[in-house]
Amino acid sequence: MNATACYFANAMADENTEIARGLQRRDPDLLDSLIEKYQHRLLRYLVHLTGRRDLAEDLFQETWVRVLERGGQYDGRHEFSTWLFAIARNLTLDYLRRKQPSSLDTLSDDDDATPFDIPATGSPSALELTLQRERSEQISGGMEQLPAKYREALALRLHEGMSLEEMAAVTGVPISTVKSRIYRGLSALQAWLKGGR
Amino acid sequence: MSSDPHERARQLTTLSDEVSAAERTWLAAHVESCSSCRGFVESAGETIRSLRAIPITVSGSLLAATRMRVRQRALELQRRQERLQTIWVCAAAVTFCTAFNTALLWRGFAWLSQRLSHSTPLFGLVFIALCLAPAIGAGIILLARGSHSAGQNGSLELGGF
Repeated sequence: MNATACYFANAMADENTEIARGLQRRDPDLLDSLIEKYQHRLLRYLVHLTGRRDLAEDLFQETWVRVLERGGQYDGRHEFSTWLFAIARNLTLDYLRRKQPSSLDTLSDDDDATPFDIPATGSPSALELTLQRERSEQISGGMEQLPAKYREALALRLHEGMSLEEMAAVTGVPISTVKSRIYRGLSALQAWLKGGR
Repeated sequence: MSSDPHERARQLTTLSDEVSAAERTWLAAHVESCSSCRGFVESAGETIRSLRAIPITVSGSLLAATRMRVRQRALELQRRQERLQTIWVCAAAVTFCTAFNTALLWRGFAWLSQRLSHSTPLFGLVFIALCLAPAIGAGIILLARGSHSAGQNGSLELGGF
Protein backbone atom coordinates (compact mmCIF):
# COMPACT_ATOMS: atom_id res chain seq x y z
CA MET A 1 0.00 0.00 0.00
CA ASN A 2 1.46 3.38 -0.90
CA ALA A 3 1.72 6.36 1.46
CA THR A 4 -1.35 8.18 0.09
CA ALA A 5 -3.58 5.13 0.38
CA CYS A 6 -2.24 4.51 3.88
CA TYR A 7 -2.97 8.11 4.84
CA PHE A 8 -6.57 7.88 3.60
CA ALA A 9 -7.12 4.51 5.29
CA ASN A 10 -5.93 5.97 8.60
CA ALA A 11 -8.05 9.08 8.14
CA MET A 12 -11.13 6.91 7.53
CA ALA A 13 -10.39 4.79 10.60
CA ASP A 14 -9.99 7.95 12.70
CA GLU A 15 -13.28 9.30 11.38
CA ASN A 16 -15.07 6.04 12.21
CA THR A 17 -13.60 6.07 15.72
CA GLU A 18 -14.77 9.65 16.20
CA ILE A 19 -18.26 8.70 15.02
CA ALA A 20 -18.31 5.72 17.40
CA ARG A 21 -17.32 7.95 20.35
CA GLY A 22 -19.91 10.56 19.42
CA LEU A 23 -22.65 7.95 19.10
CA GLN A 24 -21.79 6.52 22.50
CA ARG A 25 -22.25 10.02 23.96
CA ARG A 26 -25.45 10.42 21.90
CA ASP A 27 -24.05 13.71 20.65
CA PRO A 28 -26.96 15.48 18.87
CA ASP A 29 -24.66 17.66 16.78
CA LEU A 30 -22.83 14.61 15.45
CA LEU A 31 -26.17 13.00 14.60
CA ASP A 32 -27.21 16.14 12.76
CA SER A 33 -24.08 16.06 10.67
CA LEU A 34 -24.49 12.32 9.97
CA ILE A 35 -28.10 12.84 8.88
CA GLU A 36 -26.92 15.65 6.60
CA LYS A 37 -24.15 13.55 5.12
CA TYR A 38 -25.98 10.28 4.54
CA GLN A 39 -29.53 11.52 3.94
CA HIS A 40 -29.73 10.99 0.16
CA ARG A 41 -27.85 7.69 0.15
CA LEU A 42 -30.02 6.24 2.88
CA LEU A 43 -33.30 7.35 1.35
CA ARG A 44 -32.23 6.08 -2.09
CA TYR A 45 -31.41 2.68 -0.61
CA LEU A 46 -34.71 2.52 1.26
CA VAL A 47 -36.72 3.58 -1.80
CA HIS A 48 -35.08 0.82 -3.85
CA LEU A 49 -35.45 -1.71 -1.06
CA THR A 50 -39.12 -1.08 -0.34
CA GLY A 51 -40.21 0.18 -3.76
CA ARG A 52 -42.35 2.81 -2.03
CA ARG A 53 -41.41 6.40 -1.34
CA ASP A 54 -43.83 6.92 1.57
CA LEU A 55 -42.71 3.79 3.38
CA ALA A 56 -39.07 4.64 2.69
CA GLU A 57 -39.54 8.06 4.33
CA ASP A 58 -41.05 6.48 7.46
CA LEU A 59 -38.22 4.00 7.66
CA PHE A 60 -35.72 6.79 7.05
CA GLN A 61 -36.83 8.49 10.27
CA GLU A 62 -36.97 5.21 12.16
CA THR A 63 -33.44 4.37 11.07
CA TRP A 64 -32.00 7.58 12.52
CA VAL A 65 -33.88 7.11 15.78
CA ARG A 66 -32.47 3.58 15.94
CA VAL A 67 -28.98 4.92 15.24
CA LEU A 68 -29.40 7.20 18.24
CA GLU A 69 -30.68 4.41 20.49
CA ARG A 70 -28.19 1.76 19.44
CA GLY A 71 -25.25 4.07 18.77
CA GLY A 72 -23.27 2.40 21.55
CA GLN A 73 -23.13 -0.80 19.50
CA TYR A 74 -21.15 0.80 16.68
CA ASP A 75 -17.48 0.06 17.34
CA GLY A 76 -15.93 2.09 14.53
CA ARG A 77 -14.11 -0.90 13.03
CA HIS A 78 -16.33 -0.92 9.96
CA GLU A 79 -17.54 1.86 7.74
CA PHE A 80 -20.37 3.81 9.33
CA SER A 81 -22.41 3.58 6.11
CA THR A 82 -22.27 -0.24 6.23
CA TRP A 83 -23.62 -0.23 9.79
CA LEU A 84 -26.24 2.38 8.90
CA PHE A 85 -27.50 0.41 5.90
CA ALA A 86 -27.60 -2.80 7.93
CA ILE A 87 -29.80 -1.04 10.51
CA ALA A 88 -32.07 0.31 7.77
CA ARG A 89 -32.31 -3.15 6.23
CA ASN A 90 -33.18 -4.83 9.53
CA LEU A 91 -35.85 -2.23 10.24
CA THR A 92 -37.33 -2.76 6.79
CA LEU A 93 -37.37 -6.52 7.23
CA ASP A 94 -38.97 -6.18 10.67
CA TYR A 95 -41.63 -3.88 9.25
CA LEU A 96 -42.36 -6.19 6.34
CA ARG A 97 -42.54 -9.23 8.57
CA ARG A 98 -45.09 -7.44 10.73
CA LYS A 99 -47.15 -6.17 7.82
CA GLN A 100 -46.69 -8.90 5.25
CA PRO A 101 -45.27 -12.04 6.80
CA SER A 102 -44.83 -13.92 3.50
CA SER A 103 -41.72 -12.24 2.07
CA LEU A 104 -39.93 -9.09 1.08
CA ASP A 105 -41.04 -9.55 -2.52
CA THR A 106 -44.74 -9.34 -1.84
CA LEU A 107 -44.57 -5.61 -1.27
CA SER A 108 -47.63 -4.00 -2.76
CA ASP A 109 -46.79 -1.43 -5.40
CA ASP A 110 -48.46 1.89 -4.95
CA ASP A 111 -49.24 2.87 -8.52
CA ASP A 112 -50.67 6.24 -7.58
CA ALA A 113 -47.58 7.43 -5.76
CA THR A 114 -44.81 9.11 -7.66
CA PRO A 115 -41.93 6.69 -7.31
CA PHE A 116 -39.09 9.19 -7.44
CA ASP A 117 -38.52 12.90 -7.19
CA ILE A 118 -37.43 14.69 -10.33
CA PRO A 119 -35.95 17.95 -9.10
CA ALA A 120 -35.02 20.73 -11.50
CA THR A 121 -31.30 20.59 -12.26
CA GLY A 122 -29.29 22.99 -14.40
CA SER A 123 -31.09 24.28 -17.43
CA PRO A 124 -31.77 21.41 -19.85
CA SER A 125 -34.20 21.94 -22.69
CA ALA A 126 -37.80 20.84 -22.45
CA LEU A 127 -37.10 17.93 -24.80
CA GLU A 128 -34.10 16.82 -22.75
CA LEU A 129 -36.15 17.04 -19.59
CA THR A 130 -38.92 14.97 -21.11
CA LEU A 131 -36.50 12.34 -22.38
CA GLN A 132 -34.71 12.25 -19.04
CA ARG A 133 -38.01 11.91 -17.22
CA GLU A 134 -39.12 9.13 -19.54
CA ARG A 135 -35.87 7.25 -19.11
CA SER A 136 -36.03 7.65 -15.34
CA GLU A 137 -39.61 6.43 -15.28
CA GLN A 138 -38.62 3.47 -17.43
CA ILE A 139 -35.78 2.52 -15.12
CA SER A 140 -37.92 3.12 -12.05
CA GLY A 141 -40.62 0.93 -13.54
CA GLY A 142 -38.07 -1.75 -14.29
CA MET A 143 -36.68 -1.59 -10.77
CA GLU A 144 -40.16 -1.94 -9.30
CA GLN A 145 -40.66 -5.14 -11.27
CA LEU A 146 -37.54 -6.73 -9.84
CA PRO A 147 -37.62 -8.88 -6.72
CA ALA A 148 -36.50 -6.82 -3.69
CA LYS A 149 -33.24 -8.71 -3.22
CA TYR A 150 -32.13 -7.78 -6.76
CA ARG A 151 -33.30 -4.18 -6.34
CA GLU A 152 -31.29 -4.00 -3.16
CA ALA A 153 -28.18 -5.50 -4.79
CA LEU A 154 -28.34 -3.04 -7.69
CA ALA A 155 -28.95 -0.08 -5.39
CA LEU A 156 -26.04 -0.93 -3.11
CA ARG A 157 -23.66 -1.70 -5.93
CA LEU A 158 -24.53 0.77 -8.64
CA HIS A 159 -25.92 3.67 -6.64
CA GLU A 160 -23.90 3.48 -3.45
CA GLY A 161 -20.77 2.01 -5.02
CA MET A 162 -20.32 -0.49 -2.19
CA SER A 163 -17.68 -3.19 -2.42
CA LEU A 164 -18.78 -6.82 -2.50
CA GLU A 165 -17.51 -7.29 1.08
CA GLU A 166 -19.53 -4.31 2.32
CA MET A 167 -22.61 -5.59 0.52
CA ALA A 168 -22.16 -9.01 2.10
CA ALA A 169 -21.90 -7.33 5.52
CA VAL A 170 -25.08 -5.31 4.98
CA THR A 171 -27.19 -8.11 3.51
CA GLY A 172 -25.75 -10.96 5.55
CA VAL A 173 -25.22 -13.27 2.57
CA PRO A 174 -21.99 -14.71 1.09
CA ILE A 175 -20.08 -12.74 -1.54
CA SER A 176 -20.91 -15.37 -4.19
CA THR A 177 -24.62 -14.70 -3.57
CA VAL A 178 -24.03 -10.96 -3.77
CA LYS A 179 -22.30 -11.39 -7.15
CA SER A 180 -25.10 -13.56 -8.43
CA ARG A 181 -27.76 -11.06 -7.32
CA ILE A 182 -26.04 -8.16 -9.07
CA TYR A 183 -25.74 -10.13 -12.29
CA ARG A 184 -29.28 -11.46 -12.22
CA GLY A 185 -30.71 -8.11 -11.23
CA LEU A 186 -28.95 -6.26 -14.01
CA SER A 187 -29.86 -8.91 -16.57
CA ALA A 188 -33.52 -8.82 -15.51
CA LEU A 189 -33.57 -5.02 -15.60
CA GLN A 190 -32.06 -4.98 -19.08
CA ALA A 191 -34.51 -7.58 -20.31
CA TRP A 192 -37.37 -5.50 -18.94
CA LEU A 193 -36.07 -2.32 -20.54
CA LYS A 194 -35.71 -4.03 -23.90
CA GLY A 195 -39.43 -4.64 -23.87
CA GLY A 196 -39.68 -7.97 -22.20
CA ARG A 197 -42.11 -6.44 -19.67
CA MET B 1 -18.32 -18.35 -11.73
CA SER B 2 -20.03 -20.01 -14.67
CA SER B 3 -18.10 -22.27 -17.06
CA ASP B 4 -20.00 -20.83 -20.02
CA PRO B 5 -17.68 -18.11 -21.43
CA HIS B 6 -20.57 -15.80 -22.39
CA GLU B 7 -22.17 -15.95 -18.99
CA ARG B 8 -18.79 -15.59 -17.32
CA ALA B 9 -18.08 -12.48 -19.41
CA ARG B 10 -21.45 -10.98 -18.44
CA GLN B 11 -20.92 -11.71 -14.77
CA LEU B 12 -17.48 -10.12 -14.88
CA THR B 13 -18.99 -7.06 -16.55
CA THR B 14 -21.27 -6.46 -13.57
CA LEU B 15 -18.35 -6.71 -11.12
CA SER B 16 -16.41 -3.92 -12.88
CA ASP B 17 -13.55 -2.83 -10.59
CA GLU B 18 -13.44 -6.01 -8.50
CA VAL B 19 -12.02 -8.32 -11.15
CA SER B 20 -8.38 -9.33 -11.34
CA ALA B 21 -6.03 -8.12 -14.07
CA ALA B 22 -6.08 -11.57 -15.70
CA GLU B 23 -9.88 -11.63 -15.72
CA ARG B 24 -9.96 -8.11 -17.12
CA THR B 25 -7.65 -9.13 -19.97
CA TRP B 26 -9.71 -12.23 -20.68
CA LEU B 27 -12.92 -10.17 -20.62
CA ALA B 28 -11.53 -7.58 -23.03
CA ALA B 29 -10.45 -10.29 -25.46
CA HIS B 30 -13.79 -12.08 -25.23
CA VAL B 31 -15.87 -8.93 -25.70
CA GLU B 32 -13.73 -8.01 -28.71
CA SER B 33 -14.53 -11.30 -30.40
CA CYS B 34 -18.16 -11.81 -29.26
CA SER B 35 -20.75 -9.40 -30.61
CA SER B 36 -23.50 -10.72 -28.33
CA CYS B 37 -21.45 -10.04 -25.17
CA ARG B 38 -20.33 -6.69 -26.60
CA GLY B 39 -23.98 -5.76 -26.94
CA PHE B 40 -24.60 -6.82 -23.35
CA VAL B 41 -21.68 -4.73 -22.09
CA GLU B 42 -22.87 -1.63 -23.95
CA SER B 43 -26.44 -2.14 -22.88
CA ALA B 44 -25.39 -2.75 -19.25
CA GLY B 45 -23.34 0.45 -19.30
CA GLU B 46 -26.34 2.41 -20.54
CA THR B 47 -28.63 0.85 -17.92
CA ILE B 48 -26.16 1.60 -15.12
CA ARG B 49 -25.80 5.21 -16.26
CA SER B 50 -29.58 5.60 -16.40
CA LEU B 51 -29.98 3.99 -13.00
CA ARG B 52 -27.41 6.33 -11.48
CA ALA B 53 -29.15 9.28 -13.07
CA ILE B 54 -32.39 8.66 -11.17
CA PRO B 55 -32.51 11.46 -8.65
CA ILE B 56 -33.89 10.52 -5.26
CA THR B 57 -33.50 13.35 -2.81
CA VAL B 58 -34.61 14.04 0.73
CA SER B 59 -37.08 16.89 0.96
CA GLY B 60 -36.44 19.74 3.38
CA SER B 61 -39.53 18.84 5.42
CA LEU B 62 -38.42 15.21 5.82
CA LEU B 63 -34.96 16.32 6.88
CA ALA B 64 -36.35 18.79 9.42
CA ALA B 65 -38.86 16.25 10.77
CA THR B 66 -36.15 13.62 11.13
CA ARG B 67 -33.82 15.98 12.97
CA MET B 68 -36.59 17.07 15.30
CA ARG B 69 -37.59 13.48 16.05
CA VAL B 70 -34.02 12.45 16.73
CA ARG B 71 -33.45 15.44 19.05
CA GLN B 72 -36.69 14.73 20.93
CA ARG B 73 -35.73 11.11 21.37
CA ALA B 74 -32.24 12.14 22.51
CA LEU B 75 -33.83 14.38 25.13
CA GLU B 76 -36.12 11.55 26.30
CA LEU B 77 -33.19 9.18 26.61
CA GLN B 78 -31.17 11.78 28.49
CA ARG B 79 -34.02 12.35 30.97
CA ARG B 80 -34.43 8.62 31.44
CA GLN B 81 -30.71 8.32 32.08
CA GLU B 82 -30.88 11.11 34.67
CA ARG B 83 -33.86 9.48 36.43
CA LEU B 84 -32.00 6.18 36.50
CA GLN B 85 -28.95 7.87 38.00
CA THR B 86 -31.10 9.46 40.71
CA ILE B 87 -32.65 6.09 41.55
CA TRP B 88 -29.19 4.51 41.82
CA VAL B 89 -27.92 7.28 44.10
CA CYS B 90 -31.02 6.96 46.34
CA ALA B 91 -30.69 3.17 46.47
CA ALA B 92 -27.02 3.46 47.44
CA ALA B 93 -27.83 6.05 50.15
CA VAL B 94 -30.65 3.91 51.59
CA THR B 95 -28.43 0.83 51.64
CA PHE B 96 -25.68 2.71 53.42
CA CYS B 97 -28.06 4.23 56.01
CA THR B 98 -29.72 0.86 56.65
CA ALA B 99 -26.37 -0.84 57.24
CA PHE B 100 -25.23 1.97 59.53
CA ASN B 101 -28.48 2.07 61.53
CA THR B 102 -28.60 -1.71 61.86
CA ALA B 103 -25.11 -1.75 63.34
CA LEU B 104 -26.02 1.11 65.67
CA LEU B 105 -29.24 -0.57 66.83
CA TRP B 106 -27.47 -3.87 67.43
CA ARG B 107 -24.92 -2.14 69.63
CA GLY B 108 -27.74 -0.31 71.43
CA PHE B 109 -29.62 -3.52 72.15
CA ALA B 110 -26.44 -5.21 73.39
CA TRP B 111 -25.84 -2.30 75.74
CA LEU B 112 -29.46 -2.39 76.93
CA SER B 113 -29.26 -6.15 77.59
CA GLN B 114 -26.15 -5.59 79.73
CA ARG B 115 -27.78 -2.76 81.66
CA LEU B 116 -30.99 -4.69 82.38
CA SER B 117 -29.13 -7.98 82.95
CA HIS B 118 -31.36 -9.87 80.53
CA SER B 119 -30.15 -12.66 78.26
CA THR B 120 -28.68 -11.54 74.92
CA PRO B 121 -30.75 -14.05 72.83
CA LEU B 122 -33.99 -12.45 74.03
CA PHE B 123 -32.80 -9.01 72.94
CA GLY B 124 -31.61 -10.53 69.69
CA LEU B 125 -35.12 -11.80 69.02
CA VAL B 126 -36.65 -8.42 69.88
CA PHE B 127 -34.13 -6.76 67.62
CA ILE B 128 -35.01 -9.04 64.68
CA ALA B 129 -38.74 -8.53 65.31
CA LEU B 130 -38.23 -4.76 65.27
CA CYS B 131 -36.21 -4.97 62.06
CA LEU B 132 -38.86 -7.10 60.38
CA ALA B 133 -41.83 -5.16 61.70
CA PRO B 134 -41.92 -2.54 58.89
CA ALA B 135 -41.64 -5.23 56.22
CA ILE B 136 -44.37 -7.36 57.85
CA GLY B 137 -46.60 -4.29 58.23
CA ALA B 138 -46.07 -3.31 54.58
CA GLY B 139 -46.80 -6.89 53.49
CA ILE B 140 -50.08 -6.98 55.43
CA ILE B 141 -51.17 -3.63 53.97
CA LEU B 142 -50.30 -4.72 50.41
CA LEU B 143 -52.13 -8.03 50.84
CA ALA B 144 -55.17 -6.23 52.19
CA ARG B 145 -55.15 -3.79 49.28
CA GLY B 146 -54.64 -6.63 46.79
CA SER B 147 -57.63 -8.60 48.07
CA HIS B 148 -59.67 -5.39 48.14
CA SER B 149 -58.79 -4.66 44.48
CA ALA B 150 -59.53 -8.25 43.48
CA GLY B 151 -62.93 -7.94 45.15
CA GLN B 152 -63.61 -4.74 43.25
CA ASN B 153 -62.56 -6.27 39.90
CA GLY B 154 -64.72 -9.27 40.53
CA SER B 155 -67.76 -7.12 41.20
CA LEU B 156 -67.02 -5.05 38.09
CA GLU B 157 -66.81 -8.15 35.94
CA LEU B 158 -70.07 -9.41 37.34
CA GLY B 159 -71.60 -6.00 36.81
CA GLY B 160 -70.64 -6.19 33.14
CA PHE B 161 -73.09 -9.03 32.61
